Amino acid sequence: MSIVDVDLLPFDPPPRRQEPHLEALPRPRRKPRLAYALVAITGAVLIALAQLGMTILTAQSSYDLAAVEQEQRQLTLDQQELTEDLAGLASPQYLAANASALGMVIDSTPSYLRLSDSAILGSGAPAGDTSTVNVQNGNAAANALIAQTPLVTDEDLTIADVTPQQEMPATVTDAPPLDGGLPTPNTH
Amino acid sequence: MSKGESRAARRRSGIAAVIVLAIVSVFAVRLFDIQVVNADSLRADAEKHGNFTGSAVLPGVRGSIIDSEGTVLAVSSVAYDAALDPALIDGVTRIDDAGNKYVESWGRLAERIGAIIDMSGAEVEKVADDALAANADSRYVVLRKGLSTEQYRALADLDAPMLALSSEKTRTYPNGAVGGNLVGFLNVDEEPQEGYEQIENACLESTDGRLTYQRSGDGGVKIPGTTKEDPAPHDGGTLQLTIDSDLSWYLLQMLKEEVETQKAKAGSIMVVDVKTGEIKAAVDYPTLDPNDPAATDPEDRGALALRRQFEPGSTFKAITAATLLDVGAVTPLTEVQASGHEVFPNGAVVGDSFNHPVYNYTVAGALIDSSNVALSKLGELVPDRTRYEYLKKFGVGEGSPIGYTYEPSGLISDPDGWDNQTHYATSFGQGIAVTMQQVVGAYQAIANGGVKKPMHLVESCTSADGEVTTPELPEDQRVIKEETSKQVLDLLENVAVQGTNAKAIEIPGYRLGIKTGTAQISNGQGGYKAGVYFTSMIGVAPVEDPRYIVMVSLDQPRRETSSAANAPAFQKAMTHVLQYYRVPPSTEPFEPLPKFAE
Repeated sequence: MSIVDVDLLPFDPPPRRQEPHLEALPRPRRKPRLAYALVAITGAVLIALAQLGMTILTAQSSYDLAAVEQEQRQLTLDQQELTEDLAGLASPQYLAANASALGMVIDSTPSYLRLSDSAILGSGAPAGDTSTVNVQNGNAAANALIAQTPLVTDEDLTIADVTPQQEMPATVTDAPPLDGGLPTPNTH
Repeated sequence: MSKGESRAARRRSGIAAVIVLAIVSVFAVRLFDIQVVNADSLRADAEKHGNFTGSAVLPGVRGSIIDSEGTVLAVSSVAYDAALDPALIDGVTRIDDAGNKYVESWGRLAERIGAIIDMSGAEVEKVADDALAANADSRYVVLRKGLSTEQYRALADLDAPMLALSSEKTRTYPNGAVGGNLVGFLNVDEEPQEGYEQIENACLESTDGRLTYQRSGDGGVKIPGTTKEDPAPHDGGTLQLTIDSDLSWYLLQMLKEEVETQKAKAGSIMVVDVKTGEIKAAVDYPTLDPNDPAATDPEDRGALALRRQFEPGSTFKAITAATLLDVGAVTPLTEVQASGHEVFPNGAVVGDSFNHPVYNYTVAGALIDSSNVALSKLGELVPDRTRYEYLKKFGVGEGSPIGYTYEPSGLISDPDGWDNQTHYATSFGQGIAVTMQQVVGAYQAIANGGVKKPMHLVESCTSADGEVTTPELPEDQRVIKEETSKQVLDLLENVAVQGTNAKAIEIPGYRLGIKTGTAQISNGQGGYKAGVYFTSMIGVAPVEDPRYIVMVSLDQPRRETSSAANAPAFQKAMTHVLQYYRVPPSTEPFEPLPKFAE
């Protein structure tokens, strides 16, 4: 069947649809809740107060901080002053000069006792009274920090002080040998 | 509500929204403009006009230098400068305790200022008057620099408006001249001039930071949250050296006395730990106090121990012996005949330090008598190049791992260029030049079983945040066989026991090995100075298990001109080192070698 043979029938208009009937319902009147408003406002006030309080506290603490920093500066100065007073006092030359003023010596011939067999090693001789170094005869290790500082053990001396060494004669004559006791002066 | 009304209401709210948005965006743009685009210029403007911002230098602290035991050798501190503003010089109105006003005159104030800084009132006034005479508008004249904290506080308490006080960094050396030759010093601008202050400046250096903040109008309290460290200060690291200050003090004091006794120009002592290559002391006399470097002659302000180059002389006979023993050319008992003075076939002339007939020396005997003639003959047993190579291996001509400023490298020429005299002279320590650290380094290798440890003076650098850096050192190097090292030590002990200095250097209880050296000194005109020498003595103890090497050198001793002048200093130094480091006395007996062959 060809398309020509088709009868063209009139198009029936579609049936008009009935529009739904809409009507606004009366809205139920709700009572405004005072509690919410109060909570919100109180919250806002509290937040504002807390912020204010915190600001006041930080501001206050920065004043405290400034005061403490000032105190710290003073203490740093105290510490600096004390460190300056102490500078050089722990130096070996100061210690040695003090020890030397007390008459202490550095022995040149150390001896050792071996505990396992009680053997004496080293020189075995008793320690002498001469020191291998003599700081009172001129300090080699200058130290400007304590150049004017008196010794603890002898307040008239400083590390730089030179005690004039006694000139020893080149040859010391031996004492005459004693025969028959001390010589007795012939007195009448 | 009609359709028309609701449309009108929508339009109105739309317009309102647009207007609000427009206003908000204008504010936003302006805010962006103020906070971001123009922020810097506005801030700068505020800082310029308002007194709202403050800033302070955050000083970085230069690192300390400490010794092997942690004793501080150099530390940073603060000193103060006092200056006057002549324009403010006038009487100062004060209120006394009773609440009455009175005027303190400038003259009276000058007196009080002067009393604090060790000047008279007149001198203080003169400083101000001179400044005004030179420039009537003068606002600043330095009164005194380098004041202590005590003085600073006293001056600040004076409440004198014409006084301007400022702080400056300064450097303190608590031990003064002890270790001062190595530590070095800074100049007035805190720039390193010498020693490890200079060499290790990268470790010690600090940089200052800057703190900026906004402040309140009343007394400059910092407003919280506005402080900014930019840049942050950077503290320097702590430099640890290998030296020991107590030991260094003793050696310095003793060296001074010996230099004076021997009427020498100068002297040096070096102590090295055989097992580690650490330099435990390197002492010079004369030396400087880094607290006051200007008090010392400029020539004596450095570490001469590390900077001197000299002909080693007889101390290097031990190196020749080590070479010959190591290649198997001789044994300690190999015979060599030598008289006191000989002319060699190639025309070279060699003489000993004392006259003697032909002796039938052993190698041990040749070293005990330090015979140049015998060593010349022994040296010929191996080719020149072999001896050259051993000298190089022992460290001659190679500088040292210490790397000190102006440290000489030592001199040795290629054996192809050795003339007839040099051919022999190199056997007994002449014709080459060395530094003290090279001699000590060579003996360290002998004492340490033939293994050369790199000598060093720097232990470590600890940065401000605790990171420890140790210096890069060359690898250990085997120079001679262990067996050879034992034989050479044996020879050195025979020198100590049978040599001319035996009595003077004896340390009861300990076995030690030594060798002396005497070098001629150039007179600067191509010749040698007559009758004066650069003398040295080096020794190792205890021989059966070497722990320490001590070398003492004296520049031109005149009381005793030979190396015997070094004996007392060496004996005291070695005794003290053994005692100081608690080295147990020797227990094994010593077997002497014959000096002469049968």
